[in-house]
Amino acid sequence: MSQERLMKVLLAPLVSEKTARLADTSRQYAFKVLPDASKPEIRQAVEKLFEVKVTNVQVSRVKGKAKRFGQTLGRRSDWKKAYVTLAEGQDIDFMGAE
Amino acid sequence: MQVSVENSGPLERRMTVEVPAERLDQEVENRLKSMARTARIAGFRPGKVPFKVVRQRYGRQVQMEVASELMNSSFQEALNQEGLRPAGGPRIEPGEIEPGRNLEFTAVFEVYPEFSLAPLEDIEIEKPVTEISDADIDAMLDKLRRQRATWEPVERGAEQGDQVVVDFKGTLDGEPFEGGEGSDMTVELGSGRMIAGFEEGLVGLSPGDEKQLDLTFPEDYHSEALAGKAVKFDVKVKQVSASKLPGIDEDFAASLGVTEGGIEALREEVRKNMERELENARKAVLKDRAFEALIEKNPIEVPAALVEEEVDRLAQDMQNQLGQNQNLNLPRELFQDKARRRVLLGLLIGEVVKANNIQVDQDRMRTLVENIAAGYEDPEEVLKWYYGNQEAMASVQTLVLEEQVMDWILDQAKITEKPYTFEELIELRQAANS
Repeated sequence: MSQERLMKVLLAPLVSEKTARLADTSRQYAFKVLPDASKPEIRQAVEKLFEVKVTNVQVSRVKGKAKRFGQTLGRRSDWKKAYVTLAEGQDIDFMGAE
Repeated sequence: MQVSVENSGPLERRMTVEVPAERLDQEVENRLKSMARTARIAGFRPGKVPFKVVRQRYGRQVQMEVASELMNSSFQEALNQEGLRPAGGPRIEPGEIEPGRNLEFTAVFEVYPEFSLAPLEDIEIEKPVTEISDADIDAMLDKLRRQRATWEPVERGAEQGDQVVVDFKGTLDGEPFEGGEGSDMTVELGSGRMIAGFEEGLVGLSPGDEKQLDLTFPEDYHSEALAGKAVKFDVKVKQVSASKLPGIDEDFAASLGVTEGGIEALREEVRKNMERELENARKAVLKDRAFEALIEKNPIEVPAALVEEEVDRLAQDMQNQLGQNQNLNLPRELFQDKARRRVLLGLLIGEVVKANNIQVDQDRMRTLVENIAAGYEDPEEVLKWYYGNQEAMASVQTLVLEEQVMDWILDQAKITEKPYTFEELIELRQAANS
């Protein structure tokens, strides 16, 4: 896996009530990732970019929402979401990094 | 709270203040908590944002805010604690601001000078003494007459000071030139408004006379085509008027607003006005001298910050007077001396008032307002306006206070009397105000 690829894997952090709770209770942090990213890639990307130890990665494919503008039907792209569990005692500060 | 003060100049103080960390952090915590209840952050419903997230997002900002507020309030506190009175605003140099660390900052500011007034017993002040004589009134009436001179046509040769109505036609090498022609022009002989020789050439001409003038335009004439050229003017005099001064009679009095009592009443009115002016001038001169003596006796250091403020104010006033539209960018040095003097005087007067426990004399205030009002046509209105206007009253109060201070100075000082004429005194007054 090239460095270049790793830098592109993570698209955005997901910050919401749900992810905040997950971070609090089980040190899981959520990201929007490339649709074709694999778990090992995500693990490496997170470990590299945030300098943390990742213990587990879970992914899910999210279907894009169907959106209608007037009579035209539109569809948002599907995307991939990753929940990354960090080793005990570690965390990622999205807010401060923004 | 720890405060240490060091003197970094005659009036400059460096004050280092340390505020315990708990005070800062406690306040930050409170702010964030109240913020958490209303903060809107994408991904969270309002009020459901976890405290941790709020702190992450706003912590730094709130910290700064609280720190600067705390610096202000603790600065005041520190001043009270140390019993210092700053002149002008402080320059605050903040230290590191971090959670858990004591908030430390250094404020540099100037203090009002502490001084005690020098005794004024051995100063000498010249008090101008002036009586208005009949001659003064005559001079004033003469001035008024000249302001109201009228022109009356006469059938005789024009003399210096007369007004002459002329038609003229100028030729340069036999050709008429631009602007060289005019009809029914009014020329006042001796006013110097026409080119050299023109007015002189008209002397002695009677209405109906015609004359040719050989003249030369001056070298610095504004039109280049004509400058330095010799031209001929054909002039025809249509009318000669002599100035006529109004006689001092009832009509003259009436034209000045004195309808009853004729000349005697007019003289009385003029005398009253002059006396008022005299009184003002006398007071102004005396005040100026008294304050000058006060300044001379008390050479104290003046806080630069106050002088700067005063300079700003003076520059602003000047700007307003000269017209707001242009930005004149007046050089600050222009006002430096005046500003310094004013600040110094302000400090000294303040000290005199304090040291002698001078209270504003209400009676004097009333008299002063009435005096001001008396100069207007409708004193009642002016009085009403003054009593209904806080600002105007405040300025009157300052004036009265200044006068009381002046009296105090004069009480102390040795006073010599010196006679002046009315004119001299008025001149003196103008010099004093500048």
